[in-house]
Amino acid sequence: MKKILLIIITILLFIPMVCNANTNQNELIEVYLFYSSSCGHCKAAKEFLKEYQSEKQTIHINYYEVTRNKRNAKTFENVQEVLDHPSMNVPYIVIGGEIIIGYGENTDKEIVNVIEYYLDNDYINIPGKIIDGEITKDNISEYIKKENVISDNKANIPLLGEVDVKNISIPFLGIVMGLVDGFNPCAMWILIFLISMLINMKDRKRMWILGISFLLTSALVYALIMGAWLNIVVNFTQVRWIQIIIGLIALGGALFNFRSYYLERKKDAGCQVVDEKKRKKIISKIKKFTAEKSFILALLGIILLAASVNIVELACSAGLPVLYTNILALNHITGIASIFYIFIYILFFLLDDLIIFIIAAITFKVTGMTTKYTKFSHLIGAIIMLVIGILMIIKPEFVMFNF
Amino acid sequence: MKIIKINAIWCSACISMHKIWNEIEKLYSDIEIISYDFDLDEDEIKQFNVGDTLPVAIFYKNEVEVARLNGEKKIDDIVKIIEENK
Repeated sequence: MKKILLIIITILLFIPMVCNANTNQNELIEVYLFYSSSCGHCKAAKEFLKEYQSEKQTIHINYYEVTRNKRNAKTFENVQEVLDHPSMNVPYIVIGGEIIIGYGENTDKEIVNVIEYYLDNDYINIPGKIIDGEITKDNISEYIKKENVISDNKANIPLLGEVDVKNISIPFLGIVMGLVDGFNPCAMWILIFLISMLINMKDRKRMWILGISFLLTSALVYALIMGAWLNIVVNFTQVRWIQIIIGLIALGGALFNFRSYYLERKKDAGCQVVDEKKRKKIISKIKKFTAEKSFILALLGIILLAASVNIVELACSAGLPVLYTNILALNHITGIASIFYIFIYILFFLLDDLIIFIIAAITFKVTGMTTKYTKFSHLIGAIIMLVIGILMIIKPEFVMFNF
Repeated sequence: MKIIKINAIWCSACISMHKIWNEIEKLYSDIEIISYDFDLDEDEIKQFNVGDTLPVAIFYKNEVEVARLNGEKKIDDIVKIIEENK
């Protein structure tokens, strides 16, 4: 676990931002705007471009709505593929050989820079030629040079090469927040008790199926709740005062976590005995389900138990999954992309549970995870929430990774 | 000397300390170590006033409690108490 954290921190430290220079020119510059009708940032980008167009009369805007219009979505996919610049985010603006993704404080300036540059230099309508089929993956190199890209959120990461900051920063955040959330051991004891009971059954096949069902159901409950929350908030997070409310809630979560850390910092590391009645009820349920002769009934019992336990666990996480989902909404990540990002969070959230279960299923021995670092999960959680809360209030575009 | 250990099946920290206690048993084979389970031996552990952090280890010398460790500890912490009260 420590090694994974070390690798992640090293990657973060080695993210140098790269701003590149460009070339090209002509009269009417064709601007290609790929957008979603439900995305607030796209709306802002559209308004800016329209304003610029009526003021300067030097550009022509080509609109492509990509979430409702399947044909446009296909065109968008093709343009990205040929440009070799895939991104799950919109607005996705292409001017000549330049690509600008997202919309933040500096985007207007970037767009103007690109347009003005092409007005003074050689200009080829690359996206237009891609759409017409004139430029393909095979001949794109004749029209575009890698160093043409003006300035977007690109970073040069050792071993990985050049990547979009947004595409790497959000999964990174998912990994960190998922790990911190996973260290919060609210439901860990239930998994350990379940494993112990399954080991006693001495039935490896039954152990694999029931254990995996428990973990999968846990993941599914989390994913459903996060997905549902994302669908609720995705249309509101572009509204400034809602961003401020989210920021304030994050600050509240930070305070709560700081308090938990403060109260626990001098306590002995170990397992906290809480809620005797609830614990006994869960223990007797696990005993009943694992001893159940009918495999189907045992499976159903474990699935129901995992579902109910994880709903409680969500409250124990003190807002981290909700905050992460809000960040996805703020970046307007929906559909398949959101499933991918939520999956990353949950994978790392369940990583310790998965490790313990797999070791137990292979060796028939329960491994205990040390509790020495548990209290620090509150401190790290608090720091993450504090930083995101402050940024949400004063610099929301940083949480959208538009630097 | 006698040591009373109180663990729970579900307690991660208790499982983490299994190795340490195995070592202690090897190092001090003359010490009587009695283990109780927090849930299964409810009646037996009532007298020990266990508290809310597991595992618990209570050290007795001549039937008098001389030390108590709550939570996850290092082997040195246990060895130190044993050596001081041998």
